[in-house]
Amino acid sequence: MRTLFAFMKKEYLETARTGKLIILVLLFALFGVMNPAIAKLTPWMMEMFSNSLVESGLTVTNVQVDAFTSWTQFFKNIPIALIAFALLFSDSFTKEYKSGTLLLALTKGLSRYKVVLAKTVLLLSLWTLGYGICFSITYGYTAYFWDNSIVNHLLLAAAIWWLFGVWVIGLIVLFSSLLQNNTGVTLCTGGITVFAYLLSVIPKTKAYSPALLMNTNSLLSGVEDAEAYMEAIVAAAVSTMIFITISVLAMNKRQV
Amino acid sequence: MEILEIQDLKKSFGSKEVLCGLDLHVPEHSIFGFIGRNGAGKTTTMKAILGLLQTDSGQICVMGEKVHFGQTRTNRHIGYLPDVPAFYSYMTPLEYLHFCGEISGMDKADLVTRSNELLKLVGLGQERRRIKGFSRGMKQRLGIAQALLNRPKLLICDEPTSALDPVGRKEILDILLAAKEQTTILFSTHILSDVERICTEAAFLDNGRIAMQGTIAELRRLRPSDGFIIETEQKEAIRTLMKVFGDLKAAERNSLTFHGSQERFFDIMRYVAENRIPVQRIERIEPTLESLFLEVTK
Repeated sequence: MRTLFAFMKKEYLETARTGKLIILVLLFALFGVMNPAIAKLTPWMMEMFSNSLVESGLTVTNVQVDAFTSWTQFFKNIPIALIAFALLFSDSFTKEYKSGTLLLALTKGLSRYKVVLAKTVLLLSLWTLGYGICFSITYGYTAYFWDNSIVNHLLLAAAIWWLFGVWVIGLIVLFSSLLQNNTGVTLCTGGITVFAYLLSVIPKTKAYSPALLMNTNSLLSGVEDAEAYMEAIVAAAVSTMIFITISVLAMNKRQV
Repeated sequence: MEILEIQDLKKSFGSKEVLCGLDLHVPEHSIFGFIGRNGAGKTTTMKAILGLLQTDSGQICVMGEKVHFGQTRTNRHIGYLPDVPAFYSYMTPLEYLHFCGEISGMDKADLVTRSNELLKLVGLGQERRRIKGFSRGMKQRLGIAQALLNRPKLLICDEPTSALDPVGRKEILDILLAAKEQTTILFSTHILSDVERICTEAAFLDNGRIAMQGTIAELRRLRPSDGFIIETEQKEAIRTLMKVFGDLKAAERNSLTFHGSQERFFDIMRYVAENRIPVQRIERIEPTLESLFLEVTK
């Protein structure tokens, strides 16, 4: 246990001292502010463009914005934040392979599964931190300007989107344990995510695709409830656990 | 007791066979020089000892325990210094040693005293900067400190001096000599003067096999004296000597080399004395590891 904590301590120290922590916090805070700001500015922007819109034959009536607009922005922007997060942290394993820093730790008797575990915990906690910051800021501003209570299942929607992030982290860990370089890890993670997205638009497979967790609109508007996401939630949770298990096995037999 | 035993170790990368039946025995409390050209398989052997490479066949035992590929318990006996050690550059040397101690499960109080003691030994005791700004020599010294941290029974150094300037090399060799009291050292190199300076035993690796192994004295004895060099003051004397003694060979400038029996050498000396030939120098050619190495790896 102590060796696991020692390696985790190193991971957090690395995140802090290499400046990644500050980038993460700024990035997610920026997105958090942006969501309600865009919602707030929408009527004004519409007014600005109304003249040109009229010319093209569109009439702009009074645009109504509320908490719903702000949260729609949140779920529209969070994928970009997740992509940025994945790009920022997907080299967590591969940079250690490349530089050879892991070699010394492993020859010191550090168990290999602890490397996978420590890095997974790091990525999960950072994702949770960033997501939490973004969510809290959006929540605060939205509560200040409008009324959060008109949005249905807000916490559930936020939780399942968070779970989708966890699933993507599972993919990053999996491919980091199997592959040698960062490009491969990002390409494969991206590839599988796109594949899951395709599954989520095919009616037959839709319910089981973790990418369904990204589609929170019907939940927010109250068209669907938690039931509709059950299979996808289970699929995401189970596959993430499988990814981590395969990663541990692959790491144990990896030529470093 | 043998601290390290390798039997019939084989390893290929694709179609290239790097190790083809390597046998090696390293006795306790020796400084063992592992000599071979670049690409002879030294690093491959060392990585196999550490369980970092999957071997094709053969067996490796450290302290009598078998080495397994991947997760191997034998690593707790071993300290390893790779050819280019890579550290977490955002840490200070002390932080790095504490990290190493913690992941190898050292006792906290022992870790604090041990890391200070080692940093002093390698001359980094006063260093408060982060590793990022370290020179190659400093990294190499920190590498030795981390390798010695948990008092390993076997210290494996992969070409620790190859990339260093003469001062850096001397420092590393001195540290290794000092570490000899505590551990057995296996170090690979292609710098033969380093081996002659500090090693008690050595093995030559050639074409994936051990071509020769023994104590330095034994290895030297394998080759008798290489003969003599006679350098005269005038060029004519060289010609005269060569005419009289057919087994003399002309070497650079006014010198001749002689490989032959002691008696024959005295004959030459007598002739030189009787004919009053002015001599610049007479020197015995010492057998060197280099000449032996060149012969073995021919």
